[in-house]
Amino acid sequence: MTPRCQEVLDRLIEAATGSVPPRMREGIAEHLAVCPRCRDEAAAIERTVAVLRTVEAYTSPPGFWIEFTERLQQRIAAGRRSPVARLRRWWASPRRAWATSIAALALAIAVAAIPRLGPAPSTPTDPVAVAARALITETMTRTLPSLAEMLETMRAGLSEAGEPGSERRPP
Amino acid sequence: VDTEDRHLVEAFRRGEESAFAALVIKYRESVYRLARRMLGNHEDAADATQEVFLRAYRALGRFDGRSQVSTWLYRVTVNHCLDVRGRRARAAADTVETLQDRLAGRAVEEEVEDRQIGRRVALAVRTLPPRQKAMVVLRLYLDLPYAEIARIMGCSVGTVKATMFAALRRLRRLLVEEGVWTP
Repeated sequence: MTPRCQEVLDRLIEAATGSVPPRMREGIAEHLAVCPRCRDEAAAIERTVAVLRTVEAYTSPPGFWIEFTERLQQRIAAGRRSPVARLRRWWASPRRAWATSIAALALAIAVAAIPRLGPAPSTPTDPVAVAARALITETMTRTLPSLAEMLETMRAGLSEAGEPGSERRPP
Repeated sequence: VDTEDRHLVEAFRRGEESAFAALVIKYRESVYRLARRMLGNHEDAADATQEVFLRAYRALGRFDGRSQVSTWLYRVTVNHCLDVRGRRARAAADTVETLQDRLAGRAVEEEVEDRQIGRRVALAVRTLPPRQKAMVVLRLYLDLPYAEIARIMGCSVGTVKATMFAALRRLRRLLVEEGVWTP
């Protein structure tokens, strides 16, 4: 058997089942014209395929698909009622899976952040404190640290000025 | 992916159940014919077809469109049929009665199905090992190209060709033994 014989044998089934391009079919025919062994093989394969294709296609019995569809719908409906199946189906959709993943990630971040943020500020119950809280604006809250710092500086300056013997005397 | 199938899959994802019904109508006959050739009788083929479409319904939301819907359905069908056959072989639960029932059922089927040669040919195909049979059915009875058969069977095109070659040689020998033709 020559390498060409092997090549042709590889393509014989394709040729016999009609799926090779006409050019390749011509190449096979040229080889078969000069190689009796491959010619016999090709004839046997073609005959086998032809016989196999004489078998009639199976057809479903009359009324089968109506019954089939009803049964399939029942089974689908039964699956839909199960909460696990509903969850699985919901999760199965790629778009929903993305949304669910993002929501789950956001929830995880929020839960992880709780210990870092500390407890929420307490709400005053005293009526005076409630009224005072209403007067505090955001600007005031923002400027509070610098006000506190200024107050501290002033206090430091005053205490320095009030110390005994700290006054400078002219030489 | 076939444009029509892609639209149907997208419509199903949007919640249109009728899109799934359309896919069932489009592919039910070919899925049934494949299962029937693989399993050898109507009852098993009908159950297999149900199972295939039920699995398809559950998994269609995850279908990524990397293959044709038909390829995907045939792959599910072939795998299911191979499982059924494997379970049947392992179970070894065939009593004399069930075997007789099966043979009786087959005799009636075959009488209806075909006369003489066709019956012998169908029997010869049934005796093939499961994967060889799947490839022969996909190629000769569903007319699928080798590349698609390779995707369905999860192997290379070369493997499909080699398996087909071996299957046809085996069938040829069987058909000669059965007297369908003389060499």
